[in-house]
Order: sequence, then C-alpha cells, then structure tokens
Amino acid sequence: MASKNIVAKFTDEEKLSKALTRLNDKKVNILDVYGPFATHDILKKVTRESRLPYMAILYGITAIILMFAFLYYTTVIDYPISYGGKPIFSFPPMVVLLFLITILLTTILSTLTFHGRSLIFPGKPADIMDESVTDDAFFLVLDQNYNPEEIKVWLQEDGADEVTEKEI
Amino acid sequence: MITSSIRWPMVGAEKTSKEITNELLAPNESKIPVWWYIGMTIGTILLAYGGWAFYMSFTVGLGTWGLTNSVAWGWDIINFVWWIGIGHAGTAFTIFFLVFRQHWAASINRTAEAMTVFAVMCAGLFPILHLGRPWLVFFIFPYPNTRLLWVNFNSPLLWDVFAISTYLLMSITLWYFGMIPDLATMRDRAKNKISKTLYGFFSMGWNGSMITYRRYETLTKILGGMAAPLVISVHTIVALDFAVSILPGWHTTILPPYFFVGAIFSGFAMVLTIMILMRNVFKITDFITEKHLDAIANVLKFGSLVIGLAYVIEMFIAWYSGMNYEMYTFLNARATGNFSLAFWTMVFCNALAPQVFWFKKARKNIIILFIVSIIINIGMWFERYIILISSLAEDFLPSSWTGYTPTLVDIGIFAGTFGIFISGMLLFIRYIPIIAINEVKANKKGGN
Repeated sequence: MASKNIVAKFTDEEKLSKALTRLNDKKVNILDVYGPFATHDILKKVTRESRLPYMAILYGITAIILMFAFLYYTTVIDYPISYGGKPIFSFPPMVVLLFLITILLTTILSTLTFHGRSLIFPGKPADIMDESVTDDAFFLVLDQNYNPEEIKVWLQEDGADEVTEKEI
Repeated sequence: MITSSIRWPMVGAEKTSKEITNELLAPNESKIPVWWYIGMTIGTILLAYGGWAFYMSFTVGLGTWGLTNSVAWGWDIINFVWWIGIGHAGTAFTIFFLVFRQHWAASINRTAEAMTVFAVMCAGLFPILHLGRPWLVFFIFPYPNTRLLWVNFNSPLLWDVFAISTYLLMSITLWYFGMIPDLATMRDRAKNKISKTLYGFFSMGWNGSMITYRRYETLTKILGGMAAPLVISVHTIVALDFAVSILPGWHTTILPPYFFVGAIFSGFAMVLTIMILMRNVFKITDFITEKHLDAIANVLKFGSLVIGLAYVIEMFIAWYSGMNYEMYTFLNARATGNFSLAFWTMVFCNALAPQVFWFKKARKNIIILFIVSIIINIGMWFERYIILISSLAEDFLPSSWTGYTPTLVDIGIFAGTFGIFISGMLLFIRYIPIIAINEVKANKKGGN
C-alpha cells in the first residue's frame, strides 16, 4: 500500500520559503512543490540544478561537427565548383552556416530533451493538485520520512493555510 | 551571469496573485468588444487585397511588379527588410529579460514576441514570392536531388534561408514556451469544453511542479542565450545581402551593424505603438506603467543617435573614399538628387524626431510617444527604400538609369502582410494572455 504524503497549502510565497528553509535544515525529504510561478529562492530550496546545459553543449558540438562534414562533403567532394577562381575549400563562408545550424539543432534537441525528461507533451492530461495551483496557491508535498506530527506543527507555525495527508 | 536588480516595482499597485490573474485574463475572458471585430474586418480586407496580389504574382508573374532591369529588387525586398527589422524587438526583449535579467521586460516580452513571430512570417513571404516561381521554393534547401546539384553555400542569399528559418523557429519556440504556464491557468479557468480541451492540449499537462519549472527555466535561458547571437546574425546576414555586392551605396562595411541597430530601433518603435494601444484599450496601466514606456523611449533615443551617426559616417566615408560613384550615390542621388525627399524624410523621422525624448515631458506624454513611434516606423521604411532604390536606379552606367514606381500588386502584397500582422495580433490578444502572468507574479515585489 502506498503511504500517504503530507501536503501543505500556502498562498504566500514568503511563508512557503520560510517553511522550506526549516524543512531543509531538519533534512525532511521534500518531494516537490506545485505552484503558479517560481521564484529563484523556492527553486533553490526544492530542486537541484538542471543538467540540461551540459546536454545543450553536447548537442552544439555534435551539430557543428555534422554541419562541417556536410559542407565539406557537398562543396569539396561531391560537387566542387569554382566561383570566380576562389578556392574550392573556403572556411570563412562556412562559419555563418555552422553558427546557424548549431543554434538550430541545439534549440530543437534541447527542447526535445526537456520534453522527454519532464514527460510533458501536447495533449498530456493535466494532473493537478487543485485548480488554484495555476492561480495563487502553492502545494508543498513531503515524504513521511520524519515524524509527521512534528512536521505538521512546523508547517502550521510557518504559516501554511492548510495541512492534509494525501496519497500522491 | 549578468545580474541587475529591478529598478522599480513590477506592478504599479500592490496586488495579490489572484488579483493579477483576474486582471490579466480579463481581456481574454470578457465579451469580444466591437473594436476587435472592426480590427478583424480591416485585417481581412487587407488580406483579401493581398490574396489578389499573391494570385497575380503566381499566375501572371513578376511582370506585374514595378521591377525593371535596373531596379530588380523593389518593394518586396524593402518590405522584407522592414518586417524582419520589426521582428527583432521581440527577441531583444526576451534577451533583456532572460539573459540580462531586466525583470521589467517581463510584462512586455510576450506581446513583443508575438509581434516577432507575425513580423517574421510576413518577412519570409517576400523572398519566397521574389523567386518568381514560388512553388519551387524547395529548390533552395540543400537535399540530394535528381538535378545532382547542391545549393551555393557561399551566398548570403542562402544564408538568409537558414537564418530566417532558424529565427522563425526560435521565435515561435520562445514565445510558445513562455506561455505554457499561462495556458495552464487558462485551462483551469476555462468555462466551456472546447476552451478547456484546446488550452489543455497546448498546456502540455502543466501542473506547476517546481522540478519541471527548474528545467523549464534552464531551457528558456539556453534558448534566450542562443537567441542573443542569432538575432545579431540574422540582420547581419540581411545586411550582407547588400554589402557583398559591388553597387555604390551597398558595398560598405558599416552595413551590418547599421542594419542591426536599425532593426532594433524600428522594432522598439513598433513595440511602443502596440503597447500604448493595448495599455489604453485594456486598462492595464498597472502592468505596463509609465516607466515601461519611458524605458522604451530611452532605448529609441539611444538608437536614434546611433542611426544618425551611421548616416553621417556613410556620407563621410563616401566623400573620404574619393570614389566618384560612391560620392554620387550619397551626395547627389540621395542627399540632393532624385531621392532627396525620401532621404530627408528618413533623416527627419529616424535621426531628428526621436530627439524629443530627451525631454521627460515628451516621454511622459502618451500622444507624443505614439506619434513618434509611428514616425520612426515610417522613417525606417524610407531608410530601406533609400538604400535599395537609390543604389539600383542610378548605378555605374547612366544609360541604364531608371525610375521606380510600385504597382498595385506591389502595394497589395505589402497590404496583405499588414492583414496577416493585424489579424494575427488580434487573435493573439483575444486567445492568449497578453502579459506573462506567471512572470509578473514572480517579479511583482521587485524581482527575485
């Protein structure tokens, strides 16, 4: 049987931030926070840094190598044409296309990675805590790895509007 | 990372998150006003005129345009450069917001990005039509084909294809990603089933999870970071279309930076026009405050100085080069000859009129702001007219000199793009939150 989680509702992001500080100090496992907007302060306290930038760099490097190979193949190997006696292999005009294709592929692949990692895609049914989650309420979801009664007291002290137990 | 704290409160009055949601969704949730239908009718009429012009261009050919052997690039390339320039402001706002962390841009960047998307769509039509046989547009993409040919990768015209396609894709991605949390808000407030289904489909099951939010913020920063050099490269490439040729007036190294500043300048002017209209129609003065308009006016003042300097430098270099052809184009054809009226209109609109923004009273006066923003848009159109037509119509060989007059088809295509822009913007303000609600909420107390 799945255990129940503690869910605390906050309508003030500053009170939520205060509660998160205390929970982090006490090493309570915060599963997630759902809310209408994100402040850097809340993000830092709930999640860790995304690794997406590393993937973006990888995509960029891949794109630049692939595009260079493509340009070299088309202009030097497959169909070399002399434009007014200019060299067949000329790097400077390639720079523009390498730059553009790097941006194009990095955009597409980073976006797809975000979709894949976060599992969000057009048409996905929304599984929301409450309709106010996209309006004015934050929902803090906690693991039961600590004394639930003690946690509830802390949350109420820090200004939670409502503390319940729910199966997530 | 460059950090800059917000210089004034994001929202004019103290508001709760709920109040912000209610006020910012009011334009989408209220009854469709009469002016919207009037605007849509105007847009549709323009589109119909444009449709006829497209039909003529397709069926009869480019002979219906005002082009001649000498002036082979006419209104369509002028309008292409004009629209793509306008588009740059949306990306500039995104860069301000995401990369330079100027939080005040949050309430403007959604609309500015929408403007970018529609302006780039309009811009993209012109080079395609100019191909003469637009149904063969796929020839410009490099793919293995039965003709056993590759495209010319050394040509700025091909770079344009890549630049504009990438730019359109990037603009749509930034615009769409920015609105996902707000589409979720609309989904959860939707009253009828069709709206709920559509907003539900496009909001991708967004549930406000902070884990997703963190990845989302990282992704938008990556996209914003890439958009910054992209936006510079796009207009640089557009400038290279001219600068790599040998025509007097085009063959100059100042063109790329000059085009880029001009693009940002005209785009900001268009943003100002649209923001003033929306601010007053929707009564969202608490979100688009006088300080926002003041900031845009200051950017325009600065842009105007740079543009004015570029005009002077162009003239100086033409004289300093000692080349007869260059001197003729700048000092005779443009400044004192057949094109002097257009030239001095351009100088007045772009370099002189915005100087009024040195006065705080002018920056605070909505009517002056609105009029000057329109003047700049007109001036920037004349700038492209001057660059294109004066160089082509009076080039090296006087026997090939000619005049240029646009035809009804030329005008129709331009009107048609206005139809696309007006209808697109009206659909946008009706069905999508015009201000990034989640960003306004996050920054309402002065940035985070």
